[in-house]
Amino acid sequence: MAVIKATKTPERAAPLVERSIIGWMHKNLFSSWFNAILTLFTAYLVFLTVSGLWTWGITDATFVAQDRRECYDNSLTGACWAGVIDWLDNIFYGRYPRDQIWRNNLGAVLLILWMAPLWMARIKGKVLVGAGVVVFYPILAGYLFSGGEKGLLMQLMVSGAITVLIASTANMVTGLAKRAFLTEFLLDVLGKANAPQRTQRYTLVAVFGAVFVAAFLWQMGWTAEPVSWTRWGGLFLTMVIAGIGIASSLPLGILLALGRRSKLTVIRVLCISFIEVFRSVPLITVLFMATTMFPLFMPEGFVLNKLVQVIIAVVLFNACYLAETVRGGLQAIPAGQYEAAHTIGLGYWRTTGLIIMPQALKHMIPNIVGTFISLLKDTTLVSIIGLFDILGMLRSISKDLPWLGLHKEPLIFGAMLFFVLCFSMSKYSRHLEKKLSAGNEH
Amino acid sequence: MTDAAPKTVSRRAKPTETFDFFHDARVRSVFYQLLTAGLFGLLMWYLISNTSHNLETRGMSTGFGFVNTTAGFDIDFKLIDYEPGVGTYGRIFVIGALNTLLVSFMAIILSTALGFLVGVLRLSTNWLVSKVALAFVEVFRNTPLLIQIIFWYIGVFALLPGVRQTIDLSFGAGMLMLNNRGLYMATPIMGGMFWLTLVAIVIALTGAVVMRRKARKLQEQTGQQTSTLLRALGLVILLPLVVFVATGMPLSWNFPTLQGFNFAGGTSLPPAFLALLVSLSIYHAAQIAEAVRAGILSVSKGQQEAALSIGLKPGRIMAMVVIPQAMPAIVPPLISQWMTTVKNSSLAIAIGYADIVSLFMQTTLNQIGHAVELVGMTMAFYMFISLSISGLLNIYNKRVQLVER
Repeated sequence: MAVIKATKTPERAAPLVERSIIGWMHKNLFSSWFNAILTLFTAYLVFLTVSGLWTWGITDATFVAQDRRECYDNSLTGACWAGVIDWLDNIFYGRYPRDQIWRNNLGAVLLILWMAPLWMARIKGKVLVGAGVVVFYPILAGYLFSGGEKGLLMQLMVSGAITVLIASTANMVTGLAKRAFLTEFLLDVLGKANAPQRTQRYTLVAVFGAVFVAAFLWQMGWTAEPVSWTRWGGLFLTMVIAGIGIASSLPLGILLALGRRSKLTVIRVLCISFIEVFRSVPLITVLFMATTMFPLFMPEGFVLNKLVQVIIAVVLFNACYLAETVRGGLQAIPAGQYEAAHTIGLGYWRTTGLIIMPQALKHMIPNIVGTFISLLKDTTLVSIIGLFDILGMLRSISKDLPWLGLHKEPLIFGAMLFFVLCFSMSKYSRHLEKKLSAGNEH
Repeated sequence: MTDAAPKTVSRRAKPTETFDFFHDARVRSVFYQLLTAGLFGLLMWYLISNTSHNLETRGMSTGFGFVNTTAGFDIDFKLIDYEPGVGTYGRIFVIGALNTLLVSFMAIILSTALGFLVGVLRLSTNWLVSKVALAFVEVFRNTPLLIQIIFWYIGVFALLPGVRQTIDLSFGAGMLMLNNRGLYMATPIMGGMFWLTLVAIVIALTGAVVMRRKARKLQEQTGQQTSTLLRALGLVILLPLVVFVATGMPLSWNFPTLQGFNFAGGTSLPPAFLALLVSLSIYHAAQIAEAVRAGILSVSKGQQEAALSIGLKPGRIMAMVVIPQAMPAIVPPLISQWMTTVKNSSLAIAIGYADIVSLFMQTTLNQIGHAVELVGMTMAFYMFISLSISGLLNIYNKRVQLVER
């Protein structure tokens, strides 16, 4: 008679070596005498480094002081963070007028508000939202930061940007509350959900037109105090350069990559030489070229300010690196994709925009973000040609009379700031890559 | 019914070759290319005419004649002779180029060695070691190189003890002296018969290579392994030593000695050079470590297991099985890092090391103008270097591809 056990035998626990801390340590730290020595030696080095940094940076450090002398009086062996803390406003905003700093902050808040929907699963129309940010945020932020009298064109553009911002925010609210795209929601509320398409269109135009007119009337009574670009500085300036750099070098890089793969010889040759020239020289020479040669290129009497020159240089330089990254992504797309798109009758631009580019860019996200990270790090070079970006500001601390000669602490603070930014960017890109490729796993 | 089929065929329109001028692919292609070329030509013409007009109205001279005029400023670190008031701007270009090449070359060697070490440590089975290597890579990769360079310069090399408290790195021999003015090294002075020792070194090295080749051949033919390491090492060390002693030790040292407020004699490297060298080496080592790690991971695990099963030790598995197969994946990013090292050495300008950008694009440009020529020459220098290095990469890629087939 066969004996059949009705219940499952309970699983035996893993051996002690596998689950205890000691077992883990035995396996990963002390598997052989050589490994044991290595572990102890490394642990000693880590202990020395960490404890040294801890004593210097935390326990012996001075956080509140009037000047460097007071830091020394407090402790000779500790860091003098008081200087950095004293300059914190300058590090973040440069020489932007102190009573106008709210404009920088508002700019940052608006950007976050505007871009937040892109990270929300329930929001509809993300492509429109993204395009809205890229096109209209620079207009609004540009005016917000530089201020001054608005011409009619500027007034119209600012009102347009405000309208888009309001629409985008309203879309976020309706998306979160009702899972509806803004237009659907509006039509529903106004009772035109089942009206003919033409009526719907007129209704929407009327609603957005009304918002636009309201925005126009509102902004007429509001003029921001003019702030010259020469007063821009610190982290704010770094972010402006990096932001414009990132937003404009990607489209330009995509175009250059397409040009490089074009069948039209003239376009291909031009793109290749452009890319290769910029990629084979250091950024600092491009920056010098921008500041010394751009003025010569321009017609007489036309003066381009230094910030614009620098931004153009940064954009051109990074577009070439992005072009090569994008090209790598394009090369990974199998020819069948092109042929399939051709078969269903798509032309060049539709094939590229709808079939090829989305796949290529998805493929290359970590590399593209990597280029963005090096762009962000490279913005520090503008301090060499005399702009007061974050590094320029950090280095000025040591020339400020109370903090004369305070070099190390500001630089370490700056390095930590960049580390946080760049490290989170690269971690996020890896997360994004995993998330996007999750559906494509074969 | 039977004649219905041919009827339909005959009714079908014959595919006529209609030539639609506006929708023909070839016509369009030619048109777009002409359009691009025309627009590009217009842009160039616009820029050039603006530039020449601007140069004229500002009274700026053009041309490369300045290369032969003498320069008035001094350079503190140079590999070839130069004197202010005598040396020309052409010579300054050469000095700057040599300085750039020197620091990049040394940084490339150091960063490659350190990068391989860290990359291998990153994959260590020892948890602590791999995490420390990871921390090293992440910290130095995610902070701007410029901040690192300035930090090493101001925060480390400028804070070294002064000339009188010099640190002797050669344990009291006085051959390597480090202080806040730089690194002072003793230089060898070769005596009359020293060339014989050099010849001996060359002979010994050739002998070692021949020995190794023979041992390889023997192993390939008979499977018999012979250790050549000891014999080769003995040859390389003993032969030159014997010759050196036999010729009466014709080598003396020019020691850096303290005279007044500074060291005299020997040769020295300024703090800016050291700061640049150290920061470039560490920054690029972190990048290279990632390339090495990715390359090693690209070798399938079965290779390691197979090597383990035929009884190779972990060190030999790494050296004889994994690294050779990982090389095709490591070399392209490695060489592009070398290229970046050369380009990044231009950040020397921030700490005043006399490289080509700081000498030529800054000091010279401030003195004599000629922006177009100076910028053009400097860029041409970097392009030449980049092209040479990428040529190297192409040769390597071709060789690897041939082996794979």
